Amino acid sequence: MTHVRINNLTKAYSGVDAPAVADLDLDIPSGRLIALLGPSGCGKTTTLKMIAGLIRPTAGDITFDGDSIVRIPPEKRGAVMVFQNYLLFPYMSVGQNVGFGLKMAGVDPKTIDQRVKEMLNLVRLPDISDRRPKQLSGGQQQRVALARALITKPRVLLLDEPLSNLDAHLRDEMRELILSVQRDLGITTIFVTHDQEEAVLLADRIAMIFDGRLQQFASPDVFYRHPASERIARFLGGVNFLPGKRQGDTVETDVGSFRFAPGGEDERPPEDGLLTIRPEQIVLGQPTAENTVQGRVVSRIFVGTYTRYRLALGSHQIEAVRSADVAGDFAEGQDVPIGFPADRVWMVRPDQAA
Amino acid sequence: MSWERWRIPLMLGPTVLIILVLFFGSLGFGFLQSLGFQPQLGNTELNFDAYISVMFSEEHSSRFWAGLLLTFWVAFASTFISAALAIAIALLLRRTFFGKRLAVFLFQLNLPIPHLVIAIGMILVFSQSGLLSRVAGELGLISSPREFPVLVRDSSGIGIILAYVWKEIAFFGIIVMAILQSLGEDYEAAAQSLGANRWQRFRYVTLPLIMPGLMSASIIVFAFTFGTYEVPRILGVRHPEMLPVMALDFFLNPDLNARAEGMALSIIIAVIVLILVLIYMYISARTIRRG
Repeated sequence: MTHVRINNLTKAYSGVDAPAVADLDLDIPSGRLIALLGPSGCGKTTTLKMIAGLIRPTAGDITFDGDSIVRIPPEKRGAVMVFQNYLLFPYMSVGQNVGFGLKMAGVDPKTIDQRVKEMLNLVRLPDISDRRPKQLSGGQQQRVALARALITKPRVLLLDEPLSNLDAHLRDEMRELILSVQRDLGITTIFVTHDQEEAVLLADRIAMIFDGRLQQFASPDVFYRHPASERIARFLGGVNFLPGKRQGDTVETDVGSFRFAPGGEDERPPEDGLLTIRPEQIVLGQPTAENTVQGRVVSRIFVGTYTRYRLALGSHQIEAVRSADVAGDFAEGQDVPIGFPADRVWMVRPDQAA
Repeated sequence: MSWERWRIPLMLGPTVLIILVLFFGSLGFGFLQSLGFQPQLGNTELNFDAYISVMFSEEHSSRFWAGLLLTFWVAFASTFISAALAIAIALLLRRTFFGKRLAVFLFQLNLPIPHLVIAIGMILVFSQSGLLSRVAGELGLISSPREFPVLVRDSSGIGIILAYVWKEIAFFGIIVMAILQSLGEDYEAAAQSLGANRWQRFRYVTLPLIMPGLMSASIIVFAFTFGTYEVPRILGVRHPEMLPVMALDFFLNPDLNARAEGMALSIIIAVIVLILVLIYMYISARTIRRG
């Protein structure tokens, strides 16, 4: 159980104007599972490698339980990284791969054998010790890579895109495995992903990174309900944005005023920004006392489990999704009351101010 | 349909014919000669006299066995030293530093230079009257050329080994650098993250990964250094002399009967190299099956 702090961490490469990572601050409590989320090239893997010691920071500090580790060589940090492409040593058996870290530490072969068995049981692959990596499926290789990391009892476990190379079925299995192992062993775990779904499924908290800079660090729930900026909202699938001005808990837009539920202390919506609501949160055809405006159906697409509507709202267009379980349908050109539940509406910084 | 079936064999035909006639034809004829078949001299009876003469006769046996030992030593030392140095240099050249391009260029510069030129260069630089000896004399380190260590035309084959190392290091280097480039550094990073120090990363990760390519290059260099005569002819001594030089002496002998011994020696060299290649192929196949 290790408390990780990242202070003003910066990585700049000579000849490149923008730093890969700039002034990153993160406080990761012991035993938590944290996602570094962002698009390709945003600096998240660079951050992970700086924690692992594989990239030297230009500035800033990383501490484990209060002690700086930036000058400690990677092999002595106890921050073990599991790579996206697994990197199992092809000339070793699975057992030799898993026992590699212990062999490097000079542990006796008998103990290594015993621990390898334990680890392979932990990742639910008890009978493959003698196989070669190329004889394993992608999911099995990922598990072996995880076992190889866990056998060293790392202080911090670093996972690079842990689910991205797996198909849907294996993703679910691997996700469950990572969650159960992480909870059982209580290892502080940081993983990198560009996939918002992966981040939401696994992480206690998500650090959203754009252009090497931390944008928001919050729980998955907060990200969906109260994104800090238009860019974050769009990255998480948001498509509805109406310009407005906030007065207290109310946003004035050119199609009407909307009340919204205040967020936490560190979630302060801007005075001047964009009102946003996710398509699936919009309530169609049920007029309520507040936050309801009249719109018109521009188009509808039936997708089986839901219907997606494009709605005209004054000079704006928004999207709404209505589950197939909810009775009623709306035809193109039909006027329809559009409800924005107060606890689902939020105000974000527009892109140019992000 | 039948044409399609024969198309590829027919297209390969001319090449296969050339290989069969020139390579196996000459090899077969050479083998016959080694068995004493020289119709122009009236010898048509086949026997192993030439082999027995080369290996066990009073006249040649001491030269042969001493030469075999020297040939093994030179081939092994040249291969091992150039491979080891090439790995070290390739690992250094993988790093980023000022002047890297120039360093890579210089490292590979001697690749197109003929062995003969390298051998003559060795004499000019390393002999007792060579450049290094003169510099040592100018600096007052030695008072006469005879005090300079015998590095060429020495009985241990040091000059020959130096020449081969000088030449083959670039060959090994180009192969090792290509392998390292294709592998990247991720495996080493993974090992480092798992606690492997610098030596352990080399021993347990880098070396096993480059080993298949290194072994192939080694067998080429070993076979080459085992079987060529130019460099040992220039940089070697009369006794012991490497087997290819001894074979050349037989061929250059005005007595045409010595041809059979020359051929027998050449066949012995070829068989030794062939056995080594087969051992290598067996080890590689086993490694591939395993991993």
